[in-house]
Amino acid sequence: MIQANALEKSFGDFKAVNKIDLNIKKGECFGLLGPNGAGKSTFIGMMYGTVQRTSGQLSVFNHDPKTESRDIKKRLGVVTQENALDESLTVMENMMLYCSFIGVPKQESEARVLELLNYMNLSHKKDALIQTLSGGMKRRLVFVRALLGKPELLILDEPTTGLDPAVRHLLWGKVRELHQSGTTIVLTTHYMHEAEVLCDRLVILNHGQIVAEGSPQQMIAQHTPGYVGIFESKHRELIKNLINNRADIHFHEDASGIYLRTPTLAELTKLHSEQGMIPLQIRPANLEDVFLKLTGQELSNEA
Amino acid sequence: MKLSHFIESVKLCLHITRRNWTVYKKDLIANISPTVADPALILVSLGLGLGAFLTNVEGMSYMQFLAPGLTVATALFTSFFESSYGFYVRMSFENVYKAMLATPIGVKEIVFGELFWVGLKGAIMAVGVAIVLALFGMMTNPWLIPALAVVGFLVALPCGAMGLLATAWVRNINQFQTVYSFVIAPLYFLSGIFFPIPQMSTPVRIVAEFFPLIHGVRLAQSLFWERDIAQAFSYSGSILVIQSIVLCALAYTQIRKKLIN
Repeated sequence: MIQANALEKSFGDFKAVNKIDLNIKKGECFGLLGPNGAGKSTFIGMMYGTVQRTSGQLSVFNHDPKTESRDIKKRLGVVTQENALDESLTVMENMMLYCSFIGVPKQESEARVLELLNYMNLSHKKDALIQTLSGGMKRRLVFVRALLGKPELLILDEPTTGLDPAVRHLLWGKVRELHQSGTTIVLTTHYMHEAEVLCDRLVILNHGQIVAEGSPQQMIAQHTPGYVGIFESKHRELIKNLINNRADIHFHEDASGIYLRTPTLAELTKLHSEQGMIPLQIRPANLEDVFLKLTGQELSNEA
Repeated sequence: MKLSHFIESVKLCLHITRRNWTVYKKDLIANISPTVADPALILVSLGLGLGAFLTNVEGMSYMQFLAPGLTVATALFTSFFESSYGFYVRMSFENVYKAMLATPIGVKEIVFGELFWVGLKGAIMAVGVAIVLALFGMMTNPWLIPALAVVGFLVALPCGAMGLLATAWVRNINQFQTVYSFVIAPLYFLSGIFFPIPQMSTPVRIVAEFFPLIHGVRLAQSLFWERDIAQAFSYSGSILVIQSIVLCALAYTQIRKKLIN
């Protein structure tokens, strides 16, 4: 459905996207992860023509976004990074306006808006001015806006940034439902847990390049298999002595403590039973560990 | 195929125009007040005040001389402010266009939809002001008032395009003040509104000819005074059309650079 070959975008000397190959299939929930400035939003912009690629190929629904962006935009919905709602209009006015932009037949518009407002638990706010809505409500309304055209492809550009856990979980539920009903989803996020929960497949971008690709489970198995124990910093010397010369144990320390990643859970529980160190937390390795490792933010294992 | 694309594009432009109207009418009184009150104030203060000393300008009272220019000035201000401050805020602070560009709307529809809105506003304002002035007895033939819609539109369009160009060029919202001081204010004062065009110094007049306002003033004067209407429209009218085409096309290319990376 979305095919990129050697896709590149430069701003002057800076390569925001540097020769990316991607293939996103119909019905998939696909994640684009990466640190700030990794090229996620640039890629999204190229998909519907607000960013023009420098070189390479890109096709969305078999259309070239450079020349046929309208054909593409008719079939997708975007949850933009900024809400970009018309602050001077009411909820209903905003949505009716977008119905006209998208080309929803006039007689269907109102019913569709009401249905989606209901779906996002916003019916009671239909006549409210945007200014009076909370952050979570605005975000839900942006979802409504993105869904007005019954899109085949839904682009979610950091959909839950800055939201409280309740709204985040609500939105995850909705995204899952849409995914199950066959909508293709492209998601960018900084929340690894979000990607793990929602995505079938994802890529991690760093400096405009893909550094890893696969399902969340595959990526964890491939890059950071095992378990992670977090210990207080006061155990530093003891831990260093114990893991001396063990290449299979990863050591990483930051302000929140010492992170040890071991191939098996037993290694970590042993530290407790034999050394009396009580871990702050023990958990299976997750996407966050993969992310930190691959985007160069984890220290080397030479402790 | 081509035609259907064009029709679709025009429809989308009109949606942008309608969006602006929806927002505008919410604060109708606040939005209309300055555009109608300012010319009335100038007419009274300058027309009556200065008019006491200037009893014969081109064979009429100073108030009568001033009236047509004020309708055109309204079109200038309403269009320039809308497409400079107004557009800039929508583009950079409210991000309205970012969300629109994720729909079938493209930069072309945004720019021409905005310009059509600005033209329309210019037309309505010019007519509104002309009605007020006609009530003061400033028009020899009030039946010509509808024709001022054409003048308002033809002035607002290129002036709105100038506002868009300013929007594309400024680096922050304060810089509009420079544009205002060095382009808009001189246009206002040096386009034959306050003193007769033939009395302007030649270099100033030649420069003024390249801008829309002086042509709008000629058209309005011809209508208000019922003098050489056909001649004014064939000369100044065609120049305004040409200026509109050039400036609008230029504005489109520049705004496109702002909205598409």
